[in-house]
Amino acid sequence: MTHRKKVLEYVWIVLVILTVFAYLLGYLKLINTSLVMILLVTTFIKGQLVADYFMGLKTVQTKYRLLPTGWLVIVLSLIAVAYYLPVATTY
Amino acid sequence: MPKLTVLKEKYPPGDFGVWVIIYVELLTFGLFFVGYAFSRRENIEMFNTSQLMLNQTSGFINTFILITSSYFVAKGVQLMHTMTQESVEESNKKASVWLLLAMVCGIAFVLIKGAEFVHIFGEGITLSTNKFFMFYLLLTMFHFMHVVLGTIILFNIYQRTRLFGYTPDDTRGFESGASYWHMVDLLWIVLFPLVYIIR
Repeated sequence: MTHRKKVLEYVWIVLVILTVFAYLLGYLKLINTSLVMILLVTTFIKGQLVADYFMGLKTVQTKYRLLPTGWLVIVLSLIAVAYYLPVATTY
Repeated sequence: MPKLTVLKEKYPPGDFGVWVIIYVELLTFGLFFVGYAFSRRENIEMFNTSQLMLNQTSGFINTFILITSSYFVAKGVQLMHTMTQESVEESNKKASVWLLLAMVCGIAFVLIKGAEFVHIFGEGITLSTNKFFMFYLLLTMFHFMHVVLGTIILFNIYQRTRLFGYTPDDTRGFESGASYWHMVDLLWIVLFPLVYIIR
């Protein structure tokens, strides 16, 4: 029971850890092409945690939960495509 | 092994109208985010150089502030869900404290972001400086306005909790405001790595 009561605290801790991770990647200039993918995955996890536990969509019918999940998947996937797709060079 | 069945709520917390707003906002910002990502491809060097002028530390602090404020609001909603007829006064009182903390976070975000804007404009940067700053200013100013509006909404809910206005049968207004605030947080969660970190 205590575990369930503390779920918001656990979610907050994970969000903070992932945010510190993102910040350090930028601050220490560690960001590179492979880490961008990890950063986008952690961003998805953060967004999903907010939607599920803070917005309370985990206990709601799946169709409502899928809307922010779908949004996160589409937006982050397109960002990944824009980042990884080779840039055409013109001569 | 018997399968555990969890009964799911029929609708998301809050009013139907606020969820329409949330989905429209997500769509709008989503288009901006994707627009930024694809525009970056046209001039990666310029985007990377311009990005160096941003203060990643203030972006990080603002992310921390919004995540924490969202947690405070979620704690308030939790109190509303466990409220009974006997605990109306106590639950409203406790929820008002969580909302007060969330509002302090909202104001802190506005002040930090405001200082960032002052610095950027002080450097002579405008919407027409280049494409990076056009996107940066449009995205962050648009989001900034949402934080201001969200803080005003939280203040309205706060005032009602001070009057013990929420009861076990009537928590929708609280949930609607909370959902809007979480959306503001969700948007920043994507905006921060996209604009401040990825290069």
